[in-house]
Amino acid sequence: MTLPPVLRLVVRNFRASIDPITLLVMFGQPAFLIVILGTMFSQLIPSVGASGSYIAYLVPGIIASQMITGAILAGRIFWLDRRWSMVEQIFSGPFRRSEYLAALLLTTLLFALVGVGLMALVALPLAGLPRLSGVELLVILGTIALGATFFGGLLVALGARIRSANLYFTIQSLLQYFIVFLSTVYYPVTAKTPTILKVVVYLNPLTYAANTVRDAFTNSFGPSDLTAGAVLAGLALITFTLAALSFRRLDFGPVQ
Amino acid sequence: MIVRADKLGFAYRPDRFAVRRLSFELYRGEVFGLLGRNGAGKTTTVRLLTTLLPPTEGGGTLFGKELRACGRAERARIGVVLQSESLDFVSVEENLRLYAFLWGVGRETAKARAEEMLELFELGPMRKRKPWGLSGGERRRFQVARELMHDMELLFLDEPTVGLDALTRSRVLDYLAARARQGLSIVFTTHILHEADRLCQRIGVMHEGHLLTVGAPSEIKRTYSSARTVEVEFQRALTTPEQEELRLLFTRRGEGLGTVERRGDLFVVRSRNPEELIAEVVRWAHANGAGLQRIALSESTLEDAFVQLVSRPVDTPLLPAGEGP
Repeated sequence: MTLPPVLRLVVRNFRASIDPITLLVMFGQPAFLIVILGTMFSQLIPSVGASGSYIAYLVPGIIASQMITGAILAGRIFWLDRRWSMVEQIFSGPFRRSEYLAALLLTTLLFALVGVGLMALVALPLAGLPRLSGVELLVILGTIALGATFFGGLLVALGARIRSANLYFTIQSLLQYFIVFLSTVYYPVTAKTPTILKVVVYLNPLTYAANTVRDAFTNSFGPSDLTAGAVLAGLALITFTLAALSFRRLDFGPVQ
Repeated sequence: MIVRADKLGFAYRPDRFAVRRLSFELYRGEVFGLLGRNGAGKTTTVRLLTTLLPPTEGGGTLFGKELRACGRAERARIGVVLQSESLDFVSVEENLRLYAFLWGVGRETAKARAEEMLELFELGPMRKRKPWGLSGGERRRFQVARELMHDMELLFLDEPTVGLDALTRSRVLDYLAARARQGLSIVFTTHILHEADRLCQRIGVMHEGHLLTVGAPSEIKRTYSSARTVEVEFQRALTTPEQEELRLLFTRRGEGLGTVERRGDLFVVRSRNPEELIAEVVRWAHANGAGLQRIALSESTLEDAFVQLVSRPVDTPLLPAGEGP
């Protein structure tokens, strides 16, 4: 039996484009942060809001940030496919461009979900098992899926426009650092946070994703989480559309 | 008819055409060569015909369907060896199998075909190596082999033999010719003109985005090759007045090409009508008692014709191939 084109492309993405070292770095880094930051800062910070301990605050944030990990891997696959002409090769084969994009985004989601699972496993001995209802679990996965689509779409749209590997990976790294550190992944926004930082943090989609996942972990969903979901869905739609549009007129010329 | 291009064109910007008013047809089992200098528009033509780029003027059909309406179903019937290197980050063997998987080829078929391709393209010893670690020629062989992992009715080969040694090139060309005899249609772009001469039933010469002419290699050579070379050697040394007389004859019969050349006792002249020139030389030698030691006529080459074609301004009217001067 032949798999549908999108699934064949997803399988190919997993088999061909990701090497073990990259996976180790991409998933190892946040796992390392859970262990080190969680252990060291928990000694300094007695409690953080409704989460209680710092590690209980940190883990949902790191789990939410897996949407970035997935998106970065998808952006990397797309960039390498452009660099090694596999985009051109695949587009001249029995695939629609929309299927290639869908496969990239599905790969993003799968990587993000693998990341979520791995982070949960790493956090388990340190932070314990959260009591999640089925709805809360679905909301967590849905939030991460929307966030991964947003960041994946953004990186693919950028990758389609940029012709230099240096520029692409520099922008990607900068985006990653700004998005992760200017969010509520590692620390909360409090009354003492400078206004300018508050504004920036609340303009960051990862903040909404991290807050929603955190609310699910503390069983405290509220209207703000619905708003966050709607904002993430809207942003995901925008970047997905941008990525789709960039594919329509993709330049197959050399990239370096 | 497999492919029809009808005044097909593509412009990257309104004032910058890469391909303009391209018209030709390709039939089942035919090998069609696209020749042209760098930047002539060959790769853009391949991209248009493989539906990677939408035409900005004119149109055409692929398997009878309008190019603009072609999609996955038509692309599933074609294979493309790109000019640029394309590869996945796995071993050579895994690349072959993965590519077959992408095309929906069954596991057992893919396994058998991978073995066949590894042997045919002499990639067996490097099956476990990553393709980017191979030499340029090996990578090219790998790329052609990979494309042949799936079934197709039409194969586009964009400069497939670049970097291949003579023996490998010959084997690849033989294999492609055999596949064409089995019904595979091939569009083949190359800079290496004698390859096109050997493999293609018809050739299109492109220059600055325009298709200058289409025809069989022999027709193109006959029509556009400016001249053939005649070499004449006499049994005795010619006197100075005889040499001058002969030079005048050559110049006249060489149609003012100015290519009369003398290498020791050997006279070399290029002529558009070499048969007439030879007859004149024989008459002259007989009349002057200068016996002929040797007289030889070389065949015109596709390279001659190509140089003539691409050296003239694009808007110069051309005769259809086969209707030579």
